[in-house]
Amino acid sequence: MSVWRRSLAGPVIVMLMSMAVTGASAVVARADSEDCATPPELTETDAKLPHVAERLNAHQPVTAVAIGGASTIGQAAGSPDLSYPHRLEQNLAKDFPDSPVNIVNKGVPRQSAKQMVERFPTDVFAEDPVLVVWEVGITDAVRGTDIEEFAQTLQNGVEELKNRAIDAIFVDMQFSRSSTTVINFEDYLKTLHRVGDLAEIYVFPRFEMMRYWSEQNVFNFDDVAAEDRAKLAAQVYDCLGRKLAQTIRRAAP
Amino acid sequence: MKTASGPPARAAPRDLRLDFFRGVALICIFIDHIPENYLTYFTLSAIGFSDAAEVFIFISGFTAALVYGRALAMRGVLIAVVQVWRRAWQLYVAHIFLFVIFIAEVSYTVKTFNNPMYNEEMGVGDFLEHPHIAVVQALMLQFQPTFLDILPLYIVMLLIFPAVLVCLRRHPSVALIPSALIYLEVQIFGVDMPAYPAGSVWTFNPLAWQFLFVLGAYLGHAETTRSRNRERIVAAAFWPAIAIAAAALAIRVSWSFHGIWEAVPALFLRELWPINKGNLSPIRLVSFFALVMLVARWVSPRSGFLRAAAARPVVLCGRHSLEIFCLSILLSALGHFLMSEISSGFTMQVAVNVVGIATLCLTAGMLDWYRAVQRMPIAPTAKVISEGSGGEE
Repeated sequence: MSVWRRSLAGPVIVMLMSMAVTGASAVVARADSEDCATPPELTETDAKLPHVAERLNAHQPVTAVAIGGASTIGQAAGSPDLSYPHRLEQNLAKDFPDSPVNIVNKGVPRQSAKQMVERFPTDVFAEDPVLVVWEVGITDAVRGTDIEEFAQTLQNGVEELKNRAIDAIFVDMQFSRSSTTVINFEDYLKTLHRVGDLAEIYVFPRFEMMRYWSEQNVFNFDDVAAEDRAKLAAQVYDCLGRKLAQTIRRAAP
Repeated sequence: MKTASGPPARAAPRDLRLDFFRGVALICIFIDHIPENYLTYFTLSAIGFSDAAEVFIFISGFTAALVYGRALAMRGVLIAVVQVWRRAWQLYVAHIFLFVIFIAEVSYTVKTFNNPMYNEEMGVGDFLEHPHIAVVQALMLQFQPTFLDILPLYIVMLLIFPAVLVCLRRHPSVALIPSALIYLEVQIFGVDMPAYPAGSVWTFNPLAWQFLFVLGAYLGHAETTRSRNRERIVAAAFWPAIAIAAAALAIRVSWSFHGIWEAVPALFLRELWPINKGNLSPIRLVSFFALVMLVARWVSPRSGFLRAAAARPVVLCGRHSLEIFCLSILLSALGHFLMSEISSGFTMQVAVNVVGIATLCLTAGMLDWYRAVQRMPIAPTAKVISEGSGGEE
């Protein structure tokens, strides 16, 4: 399959590679900020995080909860210390030395949006956060949850967070070419972004970012040698953590 | 020339509008099932709140009432019931065929899957974790993965159809009132049909969608009784239908534009969205019937364009709806595969859509040619064995 794919996709890949900032060596090298580069429109947002901003400006501690699935807990990298919530925490701590930042990782693999909302009382509200980073949609897309039900669940979750004066950021799905061939993510992505749009919540476009990195050949998410897998995952999580920190800096000036 | 076992004599010439619009719906189903396909901005779902699914189910109800109503009138209840159920059986076989293709596609991709970021999450495709249960559930129509959701609905509709038909012949209200009550119950209490895996439901809730099917059957039945009601309804509904269709069009188009360019406001998005498809939200139903009324008013069964050469491929697709439906599902899966594996750029978009739609039309043409050949007597003495009228409903 892959040989056939390459032969057909040859011209496209050559073109993309010539545009790429770095070559295939990026896969093994530690990701630097240049590797994480994405087109600016991907991280543009007017969304605000008023409660986070308030805490930061008052030099008070910021507690956030990252709720999500396997990629939130950093499963592919092998340790929560390599996950994007942890990277986010490190980056924010660097940017805001006066406010201790604590990000509680509540990733549980294979959960639908509904199961996550059911966890809110124990896993989110119990931590008394000012910010929730909600990574959602993969399991629903894989299982084929009814799309309107998915929308409704997200809206209910957002409502609960707003009622408790908690700021929120959505993180959308991961991209990989081979998974998009069997799963239709598009409807779920659109729905998630629309919910964010209506509720004025920033949706971190992880799918588009990872697609960009894949197309630019910065990271290759498919056909990775076994020994490089965890390393690749850690690099991607690192980039995602940084990008998230950037957006939080902008949304909470 | 008619053969003894051929279809019963036609009361009226075939209404080409049914074939044409079902053909349009099938082509839209092909287009809409390919993720990231730009053409979805131009399908039925882009011009109102309803989409191809409503057209398909409504016309299926309508033609079922025409075809089997005639069979019932001429050959009795028993023959009509057997014909309807034989058709349901054909649909069931088609459903199982599509399911096998689905198994092939998913198990191949998942087993050759080599992606560290996604291994954990792809595991939730419950099918490969418990294949022995999933296959049995699929045979019982309880497991409905993507694309395999509308045929189960259609099968259930045909299973109950003999009862609908008998009730319609007694008096339309005997069929319409219970059907409407069940629909209302779904809208008010949210009753749904549980499916596999536990916690999921039928994508197209048959308790809701039966109402549309029965409404289609009612109008099809009214056609055979030559009641004058139809003209009166169409005339009375004209202005409300225009208003509703125009409003739905404006709102729906604003949503599409908003998705592309945020500065365009999405009208009533906050109030109306999400619109429940599984339970056939009244918004969808009303929007759809506005379109039906406009078509009834503007498109005569004798319209020249229905006989035009350009419309012919679409008409043929609609006439061989089951085969074309199955093919469209296969082709959209293939198109999705090509676009995500190679490129979703403009050239690929054009290629996938053009080749896909051309394949659908050519196949429909071939099926039609084959049926015509089959029905032609081979020699003056040869007795033609016809397939009966089941295949054309």
